[in-house]
Amino acid sequence: MAADLGGRPPSAPPRTGPEVLPFGIAAVPGEPVLRWDGAATTVAAVERELARIWSSPPARDAIGGEGREERTVAARTSVLNLVVVARRPEIGERVAAEISTLTGRHPSRTLVLVPTDPDGPPWFRAQVRAYCMAARDGAPETCAELVYAVAGGETGRHLAAVVTPLLVHDLPVALWWPGDPPFGTRPADELVALADRLIVDGSAWPGDGLDRLRAVARLARSVEVTDFAVLRQARWREAIAAAFDRADLRPYLGSLRQITVTHASHGGPDADWSTNVVRPVYHVAWLASRLGLRPIRALHRDTRPEDRGRRRASRPAPPGGPADPGRDLRATLGAGRGRTVEVVIRPAISTVAAGTTLRVELLAERRGRELRVEATAEADVVRVRARERGIEVLDRPYLASRRTETDLLAEAIEVGAADHVALDALKTAAALAAPEAQP
Amino acid sequence: MQARAEGSAGPGSAPRPTRAEGDPGLSARAARLARAAGSQRPSSRPAGNPLREGLRLERMPDPAAFVLFGATGDLAHRKVVPALFQLWRTNLLPHEFALVGIGRRPLGDDGFRTGLRASVEEHGRAPLTAAAWEPFAACISYQRMDFGDPAGYAALADRLDELDRTRGTAANRLFYLATQPSAFAEIIAGLGRAGLDHEVHGGGWRRVVIEKPFGRDTISAIRLNREVAKVFRESQVYRIDHYLGKETVRNLLVFRFGNGIFEPIWNRRYVDHVQITVAESIGVEGRGAFYEEAGATRDILQNHLLQLLSLVAMEPPATFEANALRDEKVKVLRSIAPLGPLEPAAVAPGVVRGQYGPGWVAGAAVPGYRAEPEVDPQSETETFVAVRLTIDDWRWAGVPFYLRAGKRLPKRATEIAVRFRAVPHALFKGTSVDPEPNLLALRIQPDEGILLRFAAKIPGLGLDVRPVNMDFTYGSAFSVDSPDAYETLILDALLGDASLFTRADEVETAWQVVTPILEAWARGRAPDFPNYEAGSWGPAAADALLARDGARWRRI
Repeated sequence: MAADLGGRPPSAPPRTGPEVLPFGIAAVPGEPVLRWDGAATTVAAVERELARIWSSPPARDAIGGEGREERTVAARTSVLNLVVVARRPEIGERVAAEISTLTGRHPSRTLVLVPTDPDGPPWFRAQVRAYCMAARDGAPETCAELVYAVAGGETGRHLAAVVTPLLVHDLPVALWWPGDPPFGTRPADELVALADRLIVDGSAWPGDGLDRLRAVARLARSVEVTDFAVLRQARWREAIAAAFDRADLRPYLGSLRQITVTHASHGGPDADWSTNVVRPVYHVAWLASRLGLRPIRALHRDTRPEDRGRRRASRPAPPGGPADPGRDLRATLGAGRGRTVEVVIRPAISTVAAGTTLRVELLAERRGRELRVEATAEADVVRVRARERGIEVLDRPYLASRRTETDLLAEAIEVGAADHVALDALKTAAALAAPEAQP
Repeated sequence: MQARAEGSAGPGSAPRPTRAEGDPGLSARAARLARAAGSQRPSSRPAGNPLREGLRLERMPDPAAFVLFGATGDLAHRKVVPALFQLWRTNLLPHEFALVGIGRRPLGDDGFRTGLRASVEEHGRAPLTAAAWEPFAACISYQRMDFGDPAGYAALADRLDELDRTRGTAANRLFYLATQPSAFAEIIAGLGRAGLDHEVHGGGWRRVVIEKPFGRDTISAIRLNREVAKVFRESQVYRIDHYLGKETVRNLLVFRFGNGIFEPIWNRRYVDHVQITVAESIGVEGRGAFYEEAGATRDILQNHLLQLLSLVAMEPPATFEANALRDEKVKVLRSIAPLGPLEPAAVAPGVVRGQYGPGWVAGAAVPGYRAEPEVDPQSETETFVAVRLTIDDWRWAGVPFYLRAGKRLPKRATEIAVRFRAVPHALFKGTSVDPEPNLLALRIQPDEGILLRFAAKIPGLGLDVRPVNMDFTYGSAFSVDSPDAYETLILDALLGDASLFTRADEVETAWQVVTPILEAWARGRAPDFPNYEAGSWGPAAADALLARDGARWRRI
């Protein structure tokens, strides 16, 4: 990879952004500053540029008297490598901007790879940056390197060969694949093989998202998987769990009858197949895996007689009439001793992004008493209500803001160990999403 | 929790006072206990919540009333309430929660809340929003009370019973004593007379959190512990040393016992000596009257420094359970060798005291200690203490532990430095610098992190060696937004985890280490005070303390 890959780039990495503030010039504590900005046209040149950052005297100089080195002025963090594959330049630029705000937190070296122009000649252009931040005045700066590389033609199909020489050795590798990762293709599999952790966002997958869900669950056997769709639901999980901190409500968890998750749909003739249902499936999968419920019948479209009418109505709504959201998905969970829990994933017409969870409802019956728990969410709050025999026994706002992608990325790369709760949920979700056996 | 039989008391405690006819406090207690016994129901300790697995807390604190004595004081406003609000804001407190402030000032609920809101806005970690504050404020009430008045405790008991009904606090109560230490015994006795200490089987827990200082010498500490034990069992008592709640202090345990490579060399065979420094650049900051009574020994050495020492030197506990951990810590304190005959003037070869005179700190001229407000112009209170201790056990015999703490030192820094022995055979003779022994420094604050110094060859044709640092900074690996020590400790107390709290025997043993020093000093004048300049690293004698062993203080 040392040779110039040649070819004239049809597009170059973005050159806009903040001004470089050289090492040694004081910056505002707590805010990341751009300390280095270089360019390279080969992978070897990127390596040289990265080495130059840390051999520059201001970065290497030390403070402390008696001629003895006490503490360096600036140091690269030594936590992890973050590799991001952005299939489109605008995603790459957005991602690079988000990562620069994480400086001083986690990634030691980030490689943002943008494959482009697959049919053109091979070429490679990279921008090498170092962002630094001091936690407080006078504290040593910690820095993160960001390599933004655009790879054209054949080079863009061999990204693993670009990545491997640029990884900081002995540090774990997290691979973030925003959008729709082409799992099962050679370039994707090569990159996944390099990674210790795969970060995806299930809510961005095309169609209903369930085939990608199964693919990711298969990958989870060899690599840790973090799905933003799971992380985003943390506030739902905390709020629902908090309802069952009440000792009088907790026994109902052992006698659940039905889990219903309502999600947003934009309706239309193809709503059944174009609405991503990964998020509602994760809600069900988390509850099932924590409560020891196993899927005994996978998700399937509702075909009960009363729904046939709805299916016929899955046509563009008549002017002024209500739009049809699509059909319910149903599944059955087994709770042992022949007891079952019905699962309903129900679309409802809404203006929010299709697939967004609107409501999670639990129905339980115990000793002739019925408990209904309902959770709904807004931007800053999840509200949980419970009614026992029709009487309200709990109505509680749970303050927790919806999190940004930057927050989720920070959390995803902060997790050091396997998250077995998320893994259990992913496995259960994949089992729920299993293609139904033909009758 | 098991109910304690009436009249039985913890070990070492005095017998309970007999019930006096007509004493309103005692009859109130009897009446309350009778009522509580009547409402006793079989314990149905529910199984854990399976949905909590993998969430931030696998177990939430039980519903509880948090009774804050000294609620109008500085500690409550600066630390305790901002920490409670942060816990509330991040959903780590149960919804069924009530905060009852107790103070001597005449205030209404609203006035109390307004004052707290201003304090949380000033001292809280995150900006205060009305959406978060309003529901929290609804949990807060205030009761004016004279700590010696039995009727006040009876009224408090009634109020807490009512909160059980209105806020669902489930008869769990945490009494937090953020008052002057002189009020501790009175409040605890008052709680006992009203039966507020009494745990009923299945009917809720009672805990008491006590702020330092726990006494001012061995005798007063034993006396205070005895007063506490007359009312509360040791398992109900949580003595706060906020140093133990600091993230990096807790990390010390992980560093020692979560890594395999350090423990084998963590002993006298490899360690030459250990230095523990708690340096402050500030002076007494308007607390002259308090500091005149305390001094560096009572303020820092007896608690923070000895706690750090015991964490560094302790044996691995069998389990990470509160008593297993504290058993090991107290064994270290018991193994500290006596300092020998202490003479008033020099005290002992192992102890140095100091007091700062005027000088320069951080580029500004500062007055000497004796010129500070509320300080006696002839004061003999020490603002610096350094001590050389040895631990007579199998692991540490013969290894000196140098501890120092002081005010108006050049910078604020807390760290533990472990210096290892020099190589047994100098292979690289004739090089310009002899290889320096290895050093491991655990920085507690600021720039929390760990530094390992080792020798490396200077690039070139010769064989020159110089020390280099391998430096891990906490902020470079983890988000820097660590919880405040008070948040950690209050949450632990609500959860019933006493690991990071000091046990009675620990407190008493720590006082037994420092009381002989204080007694020796009290017998004679400090001849040379002030003996260090503000902005220097303490008196020259502190350097001599190490120089005798061929060591010197690490330059921080």
